[in-house]
Amino acid sequence: MDLSSAMTIAAAGMRAQSARLRVTAENLANAESTATAAGGDPFRRKTVSFAERADRDSGLELVDVARYGEDGSDFELRYQPGHPAADAAGYVKYPNVSPLIELVDMREAQRSYEANLNPMQLARSMIGRTLDLLR
Amino acid sequence: MTVTSVGRALSAYGAALKRAEGVTPGAGDAGSGFAGMVKAGLESTRADLRAGEAKAVEALTGRASLQDVVEAVTEAELSLQKMTAVRDRVISAYQEIMRMPI
Repeated sequence: MDLSSAMTIAAAGMRAQSARLRVTAENLANAESTATAAGGDPFRRKTVSFAERADRDSGLELVDVARYGEDGSDFELRYQPGHPAADAAGYVKYPNVSPLIELVDMREAQRSYEANLNPMQLARSMIGRTLDLLR
Repeated sequence: MTVTSVGRALSAYGAALKRAEGVTPGAGDAGSGFAGMVKAGLESTRADLRAGEAKAVEALTGRASLQDVVEAVTEAELSLQKMTAVRDRVISAYQEIMRMPI
């Protein structure tokens, strides 16, 4: 039935956006995670990419997380000679996480999630109203 | 007289439902078509309700996502509504026939 398929697909979209929000939360939480050893690499910002996935049982085109990647951009260097992770010159590598980018990403995940909520609600109310015809 | 006319009406109802289901009515199985449909509908509703319940339990133990639960429970709810709507409809049709003066 097409209407319940719409609900399945919307649920998959909501799942995908939840995964995106999770990755954003990981990035934000680790925005200050430096290395423990001197000169070591800190936390590297994670990215998430989506892809369509054909569900064999139902024959629907769902969305799924294609892979979790890493942001290859440069780390931020701060001069902190007293830090345990400081290199010989006194610089500490900080994660390549920009709170502004994460904030925008978070907002995008929220909006996409809400966009997926709409087909779900609509399909549900359409089925309900069609059933009302029987009453 | 009354019983046969009710039986005929019921078998006509069953045949109409069977046609609606895309199945040709078999000869001589008056009422069984409708009973079969009710049974099949009940089975699928029960399966949906079970699936919804299982998903809710999985979510409580942290194994299913919230979206899965919403999907399964909505499916079960709508399935139950469909079943009760059809049942109410059939019962009211039956009562309508029973009230028919002969």
